Amino acid sequence: MITYAYYPGCVAQESGKELDNATKFIAKKLDINLIPMPEASCCGGGVIDGFDRNLKLFINGRTLALAEKGGLDIMTICNTCTLTLSEVNEELINNPESMEKTNEYLAKIGLKYSGKVKVKHILYAIRDDIGFDKLKEKVLKSLKGINIAPFYGCHILRPSSVVKFDDVENPRGFEELIKALGGEPVSYARRTKCCGFQTILVNEATSTSLAGNAIYEAQENNADVMVTPCPLCHLSLDTYQTVAAKNINKKLSLPVLHLPQLIGITLGGDYAEMGFSRHNISLKSVMAKIRQNKI
Amino acid sequence: MEFKVRACRFNPEVDKKPYYKEYTIEDYPGMTVLNALIKVKSELDGTLSFRRSCRSAICGSCAMKINGISKLACKTQVGPEIEKFGIINVGPLANMPVIRDLIVDQESFFDKIKEIKPYLLGQREDEAYNGFHVLKEGEKISQPVYYKSEFQNLTGNNDTPNCILCECCYSECGGVVGNPGYLGPAALAKLYRYSEDPRDNDKNGSRLVNGSKADGMWDCVHCQACEEFCPKGVSPVKSIVKLHERTIKNSITFSAGSKHVVSIAKSIRKTGRLDEIKVAFDSVGISGLINNLPMILGAGLKGKIPPLRLKLIKDMEDIRLAYKELDLEGK
Repeated sequence: MITYAYYPGCVAQESGKELDNATKFIAKKLDINLIPMPEASCCGGGVIDGFDRNLKLFINGRTLALAEKGGLDIMTICNTCTLTLSEVNEELINNPESMEKTNEYLAKIGLKYSGKVKVKHILYAIRDDIGFDKLKEKVLKSLKGINIAPFYGCHILRPSSVVKFDDVENPRGFEELIKALGGEPVSYARRTKCCGFQTILVNEATSTSLAGNAIYEAQENNADVMVTPCPLCHLSLDTYQTVAAKNINKKLSLPVLHLPQLIGITLGGDYAEMGFSRHNISLKSVMAKIRQNKI
Repeated sequence: MEFKVRACRFNPEVDKKPYYKEYTIEDYPGMTVLNALIKVKSELDGTLSFRRSCRSAICGSCAMKINGISKLACKTQVGPEIEKFGIINVGPLANMPVIRDLIVDQESFFDKIKEIKPYLLGQREDEAYNGFHVLKEGEKISQPVYYKSEFQNLTGNNDTPNCILCECCYSECGGVVGNPGYLGPAALAKLYRYSEDPRDNDKNGSRLVNGSKADGMWDCVHCQACEEFCPKGVSPVKSIVKLHERTIKNSITFSAGSKHVVSIAKSIRKTGRLDEIKVAFDSVGISGLINNLPMILGAGLKGKIPPLRLKLIKDMEDIRLAYKELDLEGK
C-alpha cells in the first residue's frame, strides 16, 4: 500500500465534491492510503502571488511542511494546486533566501521545511507509483469502444521547468491511462490548451470561447466523452458548457468526466458513487454504452 | 537520412483555403528546420515563402509553428523533431492573419507593443541634468549611475529585455486565442519592465491604470504557454503576475480581475479556504451573477452550489499569522 498526504484543493471539497468522492473510491480499490490534511489551506487558486508573492510562499510552504512533518509526499487532484505547490517547492529548494524567510514564519507555528516533499498529481502518481499495468489488472468494466478525449489543461504540463511529469510538446500519460482502461484516446489539437478558467469571472467571453472550442473540436473528432484531471477545467468544460455553446454559437453536448471518475467506472463505481447526477451534461448515453461492455 | 517537410501553403489572393505540400529532403548532422526550408526553397520549390534573417536566434524573424508549437526555425534542429514526430510540419504562427505561406501580418502584435508606450515617460523631477544644454568649459557629460540592485529594477525581472519580439508567445497565448483584442504577453511584459523602471516618470500611475482596463493585464488566462515556449527564456506570465501585485499594492482595484484576486486573498485570511460564492460575488457583482442565473440555477439543482458558510481549516491562526507577518491584515 502506498501512502500520500492528500491535498484535494478547495473546489473538490466545495462545488466539485464528486471529484473528492471518486478519488477516495478509487484510492480504496487501488490500495492507496490517503492521509487527510485538515490543517492545509487553499493554495491561492494560482493567482495569490498577484496579491503578495510572499503570502504564496508562506501558506504553501506551510502545506509542504505539514506533509514533511508526516514524512509523506503530497498527492493532488487539481492542476492549479499541483502547479502552485510545485512552484513554491522549487522556489524554496532553489532559493535559500526564500527558504530562510519562509522557515522564519514556519518556526513561529512550530513547523520547519527542508525541501523533502514531492508533489504528485494523481494521474502521474498512478503511472509512477502504481503502474498502468497494475491498474489494467484491476479493471472490472472495460471502456472498450468508448472514444475518450483527454483534456490535459495547462498547469499539469506547463511550465515544464516546474511540473516535470510529461513531455510538454507531446504528452502521452493521459492517453496511456485511457488505453490501460480499454478506451480509445481521441487525438485533437486542443487537448493541451487552456480551458480559460482563470478568467471565467473576469472575462467570460474569452474564457468560454476557449472551453467551447476545445469541446467542439473533441466532438468533431467523434469523442463520446471528455476527461479532465482538474476540477477548475471541469467547471469550465461542464458547468459552463451551455454558456460556452451560446458564446461560440455551436451545438455542444459532450459529457465531461473528472479523471478519478473515469477510473472509478472501470473499477466498479456506479452512477451514484461517481456523483454523475451533479454534472451539467448528462452521462446517461455514455454510461449506457459502457454498460454494454461484457468486461 | 531522408525526411519529409510538410509545409502549409496559402496565398490569400489565389487560394480559397490553406493546403499542405510535402517535400522530401536529405538531412545532415545539426541541420535546423530553417536549413531544411532554405534547402526546399533553393532546390525544390522557390515559391515557398517564409521570413528569415540572422540564423542565430537573435532577430526573431523565422518564428513559425513547427509540429504544432511556435518555435524559431533557426534554433530548432531537425533530428529531435523527427525522432518525436516523424516529420517536420511547418505552418504560420497563430493569432495573426497569414500574408502568404509561413508569413504572418505582424501589425496587430506591434500595435499592441506601441500601445503600452515602450519608452521612458517624461523626466525625473529630481534629475539635476534636465534637457540638452551646451557644456560649459571643463564640464563633463554626466552619466546616470545606478547600483546593481537598482539596475536590476531598470529591467524589470532581468529577463524581459531578452525579448526579441519573435511573437512565439503571442502565437501560443490562450488569452489572445480567446480575445484577439488582448494585449498579449510580450506587450504586458514590456509594460511591467517600464512600470518598474525608476527612470520612468509615470506621475499618475497611468501605466498601471491603462494596463488594468479591458483587454489588459487581467485578461491573462495563466496558461503558462508564453513562458514555456519563449525561445529566449523570458517569462511574460511572471511579469504579468508582478504587474498584478504592483497594481493591487497601489490600490488600483477597479477591474474585475483585481477584485477577484483580492477576494481570494480575503477568503483565505478568513477561512483558510477559497469561498467560491463570495469570490464570484466580489468579482462580478450582483449584475454578473444575474446574467448567469440560468447556469447558476442549473448547477444548484444538481447540487453543485458550494456551502454558504465554510468550515474553517484546522489551526486557522497559523494562516492569520502569515498575513500578520506580511503586514497584510487589513488588505
